[in-house]
Amino acid sequence: MDELKRLKKDWQENQKFPKLSQFEIYKFLHKKSSSLVKRIFVLSLIEFGFWTFISFFIKDNEAQQRFDQYQMEHFTIPLIVIGYAVLLYFFFLFYKNYKSISSIDSTKGLMQQILKTRRTVKNYVIFNLVFLYISIVIGLLIELNNNPDVVMLTAEFNSTGDYLIFYGIIIILTLIMMALLTALLLGFYFLVYGILLKKLKNNYKELQTIEADTD
Amino acid sequence: MKSTNEKEFVTLIEEHQNLIHKICRLYTKSNTEHKDLFQEITIQLWKAYPKFRGDSKFSTWMYRVGINTAITLYRKSKRRIQSLSFEDVAYKVPQSESYDDTEDQQIKAIYQAIKQLNDIEKAVVFLYLEDKSYKEISNTIGITEVNARVRMNRIKKKLIKQLNP
Repeated sequence: MDELKRLKKDWQENQKFPKLSQFEIYKFLHKKSSSLVKRIFVLSLIEFGFWTFISFFIKDNEAQQRFDQYQMEHFTIPLIVIGYAVLLYFFFLFYKNYKSISSIDSTKGLMQQILKTRRTVKNYVIFNLVFLYISIVIGLLIELNNNPDVVMLTAEFNSTGDYLIFYGIIIILTLIMMALLTALLLGFYFLVYGILLKKLKNNYKELQTIEADTD
Repeated sequence: MKSTNEKEFVTLIEEHQNLIHKICRLYTKSNTEHKDLFQEITIQLWKAYPKFRGDSKFSTWMYRVGINTAITLYRKSKRRIQSLSFEDVAYKVPQSESYDDTEDQQIKAIYQAIKQLNDIEKAVVFLYLEDKSYKEISNTIGITEVNARVRMNRIKKKLIKQLNP
């Protein structure tokens, strides 16, 4: 069949195909970088939902009701508003990271975006820890000044001159509580984001080898 | 270690990418499908790469995995391909540079006839065009050598019939 022979000749001569770079091939294998960043964004929203859900449960407990009676809204409301505003800002950053990483077309750009995403997550964790510490300290100060039992206890220690011991115990207990909550929160974040960040780091290393070879 | 393997793999694919392009050329009807199949073959090759022991040449192994992927994907997407968009229909006459505008009418006609063949027949034709022996064709597709010859003869008859209705 002559046509087939002609086609064979044409087939072997006609090799004009678009040439894909190593980075483009790498991107085929690693849709995962953008999907990891997308997962970070989605997880941050789920986490937000989770904490909001938890806060509804503790809303009506005894301690919260007592705390509400102190009428310290001028402290608590700005704190809550600031907290939510910063969280919204972080959600925006996570979304922006996801959008940017989906449209990157160079190894260097992808590496930079991976670093940026890791930095955003780290800042987010730091913010949450700092916010927790500030909340604990403000909460403690409100309790010290408003809780009738604590006020009475403070007065007792003050009258005997042992107030240093009292405040010492309060500070130590607060530090222990902070350390425990920090460990708990860091453990939580390690499980939620740590694994994704580690995978992103591995992708970064793989990209580094490609980048080193193309330089 | 994984990183080194990946680098090695990406380099090999870069070197042998024309082979994948050629499979895509026979099995797809649009640039979008071409790109999709290229990506799918690359992913399947990467998944199968740990099992590649170097007993055969990398290109031989690529033929096997690439053709299998094309056949599987072709079977999965049969329904999808039947409902072609306007762009896809327009694509039937190769227009892009990668599909060579200079082909004469006869070559174009035979390309179109090959595209009408079933998935296994396309694989046989593809390996024939790649100048593979019947033994290599049979090994790659997983049929006997005799069967490969019989199929090729049938394909030739089919093509003649299609080209001279």
